[in-house]
Amino acid sequence: MNRRNFLSLTGTFTGGMFLLPDFLHAFGSSSNSLVIGEQCLVFIQLNGGNDGLNTFVPFDNPMYYEFRPKIALSKDDVIGKNQGMAFHPALKNFADMQQNGDLSVIQNVGYPEPNRSHFRSQEIWQTASASKEYKSEGWLGRYLDFQCHNHQPTAGINIDTIDNLALKGLEPNSITVKDPNRFKVKKENSSVKLSENPQLDFVRKIASSTMEGSEVIQKALAKSTAENTYPKTELGKNLEWIGRLIKGNLNSKVYYSSLGGFDTHDNQLSIHNNKLTDLNDAVFAFYKDMKEAALLQNVTLVVFSEFGRRAKDNGRGTDHGTAAPMFIIGGQNKGKIIGNNPNLADLDNGDLKHEIDFRSVYASLLKDKLTFDYSKIGIKTKPISGLF
Amino acid sequence: MNKQNLWSLRLGFSGKEASMIKKDFSLFLKNSFESNVDSALPELLNDSPKTIADLKARRLFLKEADMVEKKKYNTQENKTNIDLKVWWLEKMQKETFPLREKMTCFWHNHYVSTFQKVKVNYWIYQHNQLLRENAFGNFRELTKQVLKTNAMVRYLDNTDNKKGKINENLSRELLELFTLGVGNYTEEDIKNGGKALAGLGNGDEKAVYRPKFEEEETITYLGKTGNFKSDDLVDIIFEQKNIPYFITRKILKWFIYDNPKEELVTYYGNYFKEQDFEIKPLLYKIFTEEYKKENAGSKIKDPLVFVFQMIDELHITEAKMEMVAFFLKYQGMDLFNQLNVKGWDGGNSWLTSQILLQRNNAADMFCKGRTLNKKGLLNEEGKSDPELEKINISLDWNKGNNEQIIDELKNRLLCTTEENLQKDFENILKYDFNPNDPGAENAVLRLFNAMAKTPEFQLI
Repeated sequence: MNRRNFLSLTGTFTGGMFLLPDFLHAFGSSSNSLVIGEQCLVFIQLNGGNDGLNTFVPFDNPMYYEFRPKIALSKDDVIGKNQGMAFHPALKNFADMQQNGDLSVIQNVGYPEPNRSHFRSQEIWQTASASKEYKSEGWLGRYLDFQCHNHQPTAGINIDTIDNLALKGLEPNSITVKDPNRFKVKKENSSVKLSENPQLDFVRKIASSTMEGSEVIQKALAKSTAENTYPKTELGKNLEWIGRLIKGNLNSKVYYSSLGGFDTHDNQLSIHNNKLTDLNDAVFAFYKDMKEAALLQNVTLVVFSEFGRRAKDNGRGTDHGTAAPMFIIGGQNKGKIIGNNPNLADLDNGDLKHEIDFRSVYASLLKDKLTFDYSKIGIKTKPISGLF
Repeated sequence: MNKQNLWSLRLGFSGKEASMIKKDFSLFLKNSFESNVDSALPELLNDSPKTIADLKARRLFLKEADMVEKKKYNTQENKTNIDLKVWWLEKMQKETFPLREKMTCFWHNHYVSTFQKVKVNYWIYQHNQLLRENAFGNFRELTKQVLKTNAMVRYLDNTDNKKGKINENLSRELLELFTLGVGNYTEEDIKNGGKALAGLGNGDEKAVYRPKFEEEETITYLGKTGNFKSDDLVDIIFEQKNIPYFITRKILKWFIYDNPKEELVTYYGNYFKEQDFEIKPLLYKIFTEEYKKENAGSKIKDPLVFVFQMIDELHITEAKMEMVAFFLKYQGMDLFNQLNVKGWDGGNSWLTSQILLQRNNAADMFCKGRTLNKKGLLNEEGKSDPELEKINISLDWNKGNNEQIIDELKNRLLCTTEENLQKDFENILKYDFNPNDPGAENAVLRLFNAMAKTPEFQLI
C-alpha cells in the first residue's frame, strides 16, 4: 500500500483527522495538495568547485581583468549585463530565464572557515554542517526522516551513478537511480526484518527499496511521455527523467543530480565553456518542459557547487577557492540578484569572503517551499530574504 | 559461514583458497607474502607509446591526422586499456595466492591514477606494477616512489606545477588522501609542499625534476624548514605522530570491517609505526589476530568479490574477462577509472538499490547457464540468442538430505541465516528431496541462486 492510500484510508476510518498521530497529521494535512500543487526541489550539484567569477562575471571591475590575465572573459562576450554583473557566454539561456523573472542569483555564498578539500566541502554542503562539525546524515535525508516516519523509498530521488550524502538519512527514504526505465523488478514479499548487524540491516533495507521503489516509479513514468527537446547529455537525460517523474505525479519532495568536471586547474577556458554549455542546455530544456506543463511554479531548481575558485588565475586555470554564486530557478522566486557583487579588493588569502551562508539559502528553501521548520534539522541561520 | 570460506573471500576474490586456509592459515599468509611477481611487460603494450619521444611522435601524428585516423587511434588505445583490465582480472582470478593482487587493488584505490585522465597505458601499467611489486613493502618508500610515477604527476596536475605558477593538487592529495588525512596539516603546508614539488614532471621511465621549473625557495613544511624535494616531504610526513592511523583504518576497511573500531585502528596503527611502516608484519598481525574473532558479516562485498565468487562457485571456465570488466564498471568499480582521486568509498556505498538489482540479475544469468551480457544486466528490451550465450556451469555439493545440503551451501555462502530464510530454503529443497533424482542438480542450483540473492550474501 502506498502512503497516499494509507493516509486516505486512515482518514476514512477515523472520520476525522484528530485521531491521527502527530507525524501523520503533519503529513496528512497537506495531503490535499499531494495531488496538485505539491512543491518539490530539484538540485544540481556541480562537482569539482565551479569558478563563480567566470560564471557570473564582474565585468565592470578592473581588478577582475588584473587578476586573471589569461582567463578573464571579455566585456564584449559576457551576456545579460545587470548592475555590473553578467553571465558567461555559454549561459545564454540563464540570462533569458533571468529576463523572464524566473532566475535569482545569490552572490558570494559560502560558509565561515572555508575548507578547500572537495570531499570535505561537499560533505559540508551536503550535511549543512559547520566547517568543523561532522554529521553522518545529509540535510535532505534528515528532512525526509522527519517528513516520512516509516521509510518511503521514493520521497527523494537521486539520479546519479552513486548515492548522494545529502539524501542519506536514518531511513532509506530516497533511492538512487541511474536510469529509471531500467527499474523493473518483480514484486516480492518485502517485509524488512531487522537484525543485530547494522550492515545486514542496511542491505535488507536496500533490497526492499528496490522492490517498493520500482512500482511507483514505473507508474509515474507510464503517466508521462518523453520529451525530445532535451540535449543528449548525461545531465540532459537526468533532468528529462526528473521532468517525467514530476509530470507523472510521483510526488517526490526532492530530486538530485550532479554534473562533474568543474575542477579546472588547467585549460579552464575551454573546459569551463563546455561544462557550462552542458549545464545551460539541460537546465533550459527542463525549464521549458516544466513551464509548458504549467508546473514551474511548483518546481524549484537549485544549482550550486562545493566552492568557488581562487580570484587570481594560476596560468591557464584556477585553484580551489571559497565563495561563489548559487542559482535558483522557478518555484516563483523573485528573479533578483541577491547580495553584493564580489569584492575583489577585500580578499582572504586570495579568496573571496563569503557574505551569505549557504545554510540560510537551505533555510529559505525548507521554510518557503516545503513549509518545514529548518531548525528541526539543526539549521540555525535565518533564511535569506528576497528569494521567494 | 565457515571461517576458511569467509577469509578466502576477504583475502582473495572467491572461496578458492578455503582449503589452504583451513590447513594452515599462517603458512598460507607466508606463502602469499612470498608469491612471485611477473615482471615481463605484457604483450598488449608492445605497440603503445612509452618514452617521451614516443609521446611526442604521437602528438605530432594526431596533429596531422584526419578525423578517421584520429578516431582509429583513440579506439585502439581504449581497446588497449580494456586489454590491460583483462590482463589484471586474469591475474586476480588465477593466482594461486591472490593476496598480492588484492593488496595491489587496495593500493590502486589508495594512490588513484586513472587512464581517463592520464591517457598513457604504459604509465598506467608501470604505476600498477609498482604497486604490485611493493604490495607488501614499506608504506613510506612506496609513497616516495608513487610520487615519482609518470601516471601520478600527470593525474594530479603536477605537470602544470612550475616555479611561479604553483599547482597545489598533488601536494594537497599527498597530505589529505595518501598519508595523514584531513585535520593534520594546514593550508600553508599544502602551498609550501606545492613549491617543493614544482618542476616534478614526466620523464622517460619515471617522473623527474626539471631544474628550470623548480622552486629553490626555503619553505616550512609541517614545522620543518629547509629546501625540500619530494622525498624530503615524505620523510617529514612520516615523522608526524598521526601518520599510521589513516592508512591502518583504510586497510581494516578494505579487508575486514566497514566500520572498524577506533581502538583497533590505534592498536594496529601503533604496531605499524613500531615496524617502521613495513606492511608485511602489519598484515600478518591483523589477519592472524582478527581470524580468531567472530566477525563474519561486518563488510559489504565489493563487486569484484561478488563476480569472482559466482564464477568460482559455478566453475565457469568460459567467463569472458571483458564482460567482467564491463560488469565492474556498471557496479561502480571500474578498474583504472575511479570517479575521483578519493577512490571507491566502499562500505555502504557499494550498494544502491539499482546496483543490488543488477547483482541479482547477474546471479540469475549465471545460474541459468548464460554469460553476463549487456542486455540482461541493464534490463534492456530486445531478442537474445540463448544458444550463443550458453556456458557450462556446475556446483559442488555432497549428496545428503535437504538440511545437510542447505547447511553445506550456507556455510560457504552466507554470513548468517535466520529462521524465515531457512524456511524459504527448505521450500526450495524440501524434506523429501532425493539427491539421486535426475532433477537434483537443478534443484540445488535453484537453492544456490536463491541464496545468492539474499541480503546476507552481500556480506563477508
